Amino acid sequence: MHMSDSYSRREFVAAVGSLGAVWLLADASQRGEAVAHAAHQVTQAQPTLTVLTREQAAEVEAFASRIFPTDDTSGAREAGVVYFIDRGLSTWAKGQVPAFNEGLTKLRRDVGAKFRGQTRLSALTPEQQDEVLKSIERTPFFGQMRFATIAGMFSLPSYGGNRDFAGWKLIGHTEAMEFRAPFGWYDDPANRRTLLGGDA
Amino acid sequence: MITILTRQAGQQGQGRRFDTNDAVDFVVVGSGPAGGSVARELTRLGHNVVLLEQGKSLTQADFQHDELATIFNNQYCNIPPDHIQTWRKSPRDKAETRHYLIYAATVGGSSFHYAANYWRFRPGDFNEFSRKGGVRGAAMADWPITYDDLEPYYSAVEWAIGVSGQGGADPNEGRRSRQYPMPPLDVTGPGVLLEVAAKKMGWRALPAPMAIASRPYNGRQGCHNCGFCWYFPCEWGAKSGTNFTMVPEAVASGRCELRSECKVRKVETDDRGRVTGVVYFDKDRREIRQRARAVFVCANGAETPRLLFMSSSNRFPNGLANSSGMVGRHLMFNGNTGAGAEFEHEVNGWKGAPVTRIVLDTYDLHDKGHYGGGGFDFRYPFPPMLSALNTPPDTPQWGSGFKQTIQRLHSRAAQCWGHTTSLPVATNAVDLDPQAKDSWGLPAIRVTYKEHEADLRLYKYMFDRSIELLKAAGATRTWGQAPGDDPGAGVHLLGTCRMGNDRRTSVVNASHQSHDVPNLFIVDGSSFVTSGRGQPTLTIQALAFRAADLASQKAKRGELG
Repeated sequence: MHMSDSYSRREFVAAVGSLGAVWLLADASQRGEAVAHAAHQVTQAQPTLTVLTREQAAEVEAFASRIFPTDDTSGAREAGVVYFIDRGLSTWAKGQVPAFNEGLTKLRRDVGAKFRGQTRLSALTPEQQDEVLKSIERTPFFGQMRFATIAGMFSLPSYGGNRDFAGWKLIGHTEAMEFRAPFGWYDDPANRRTLLGGDA
Repeated sequence: MITILTRQAGQQGQGRRFDTNDAVDFVVVGSGPAGGSVARELTRLGHNVVLLEQGKSLTQADFQHDELATIFNNQYCNIPPDHIQTWRKSPRDKAETRHYLIYAATVGGSSFHYAANYWRFRPGDFNEFSRKGGVRGAAMADWPITYDDLEPYYSAVEWAIGVSGQGGADPNEGRRSRQYPMPPLDVTGPGVLLEVAAKKMGWRALPAPMAIASRPYNGRQGCHNCGFCWYFPCEWGAKSGTNFTMVPEAVASGRCELRSECKVRKVETDDRGRVTGVVYFDKDRREIRQRARAVFVCANGAETPRLLFMSSSNRFPNGLANSSGMVGRHLMFNGNTGAGAEFEHEVNGWKGAPVTRIVLDTYDLHDKGHYGGGGFDFRYPFPPMLSALNTPPDTPQWGSGFKQTIQRLHSRAAQCWGHTTSLPVATNAVDLDPQAKDSWGLPAIRVTYKEHEADLRLYKYMFDRSIELLKAAGATRTWGQAPGDDPGAGVHLLGTCRMGNDRRTSVVNASHQSHDVPNLFIVDGSSFVTSGRGQPTLTIQALAFRAADLASQKAKRGELG
């Protein structure tokens, strides 16, 4: 990605290139469509699914909830990651629906390989779900789901996830348009003086 | 057969309207740091200008804290399907489709979204070849101009757009005729950590010169430290990009028409080998011819050589301005190294300007056995997604452990970035792909690029120093690796139409005038003879101010006919 001082920084490439980032990076021109769709959704009490079936949504949510589990803080479930993924597949990432469906089909087999007679990740206990995910964590589908989950946690709520900025709150990020120094501990004048002595 | 329309005045565009059949004084191709500045300077000097930009003209109201669209979908850049590129490692290979060179495709060009590091070159950058000799496998050469030739334009740019900094802080900087117009930006957490590290290493942390207003300037807002800065367009208008400064001034002069979403496909010439204008596709993809007495190509280090190749003719069979065969060659990116670290307390590098302190004690590493050198900054300009994707590789990548890592690191991580020389290698090049086409039906850019071994050694040296700096700053953990032999992408696009006094080995003369075509000027990153130390944009812009000044003098003396 890049840049120089712009983006194209190598680490940026490393971060994005190796993690299945291609998924959901489709047509930026359709962003407007996605946002309009999401705006429509928020007027409804309960968000609805457009592309994913209920069963698929349960699988996606189970998967995403092991990437970002709900523990003493919010996870993928509270952030509405499944709705972000559904929005993506119905708008800017439309073209990726077949590959996504294929990945979910393969997941059924992966579940069965670990737990005989089972096909649904969402029917397993969290510990069992982790075992399945561990067995596939080097596959492209895992990378894509991980990336999509991170995107659903942290992209603007207008895309359908990060509900009420749950993802941003989790890591202490805020939507402020303005900050004033000191920004952190080190640039606090007293701490800076202590660290630098007479050079501050 | 393609019908080339005559565009009627008033059809589109901003500012004064010009008829396409009336030859304007100058057509300028590209509105970035180079083209936007050329347009502003030419209008200030009394010339009429049509400014053509392939991207959109956007305003602050169009921008959001939207990381997914801005960074991951690259929505303001040269993205497929409109923009297609191919890449190969050596001239013997067949190129494959790969999106390698990244640049903004909007009014403002790269200055629309840059981090805004605005280092001047040092005097010694312009004659490093005669001072230090060459290096095998690289076409090192001196620039045809000196620091003193450029100094008045450095100062002019710093004041025209608004650069924040502290002149005199760097004891090794070149002579400076004017202090910066604004003091440095507020120091951030990463900035203080670099101060701590530099002190321990016996080095000097300098206030970073940045093209971001630290206080209100020329009617624009000063920086509000919102943090969505690196790679984002500024929602406050505090970044001093040409989209907020030079282009609006040119349009307001009454002597410039800005036509955005116009893709130039050819610079046309007559029987005498003089430029007569350009042909472009407008927003509706109609072909239009704009006549001009002279043309400035400022389309960036990739699009500029591409346009010259696309402008070949019977008289110029190897591409316009290419009798030397040097068009497209010597592509340089500047090396970039990155290392991550965790600190005990909150750093919060995602607040404030991306860079506030730099270290330049490694500017000249010849005595360490390297060619060139570089500089460092500490930063963490990462919004949440990038932050989550940049955790240390030996920590959990999903599950509760991953959540805890991100929760801790988003506020406590910082990175050290190194910025370096890259050497001019003749076979590292931009040309036209023989098969691939973009959505306009124009030949795709083909990139041939392989790192020079001396550069790879330099990157390793700089990476190792980055780890030392982070540890000296008190890091509790560091991670990362030195760059390998595939940079993955190029952002600084330098060297592909190099300046020089010898028409056999350079594309433009010391006035940025084509050696072959006297009324064709070329100025942008492609003009660079060498790559400096990693932050080229101020030098691109100073060259543009100077080129416009010299072209104006020639035009007024009637020397462009």
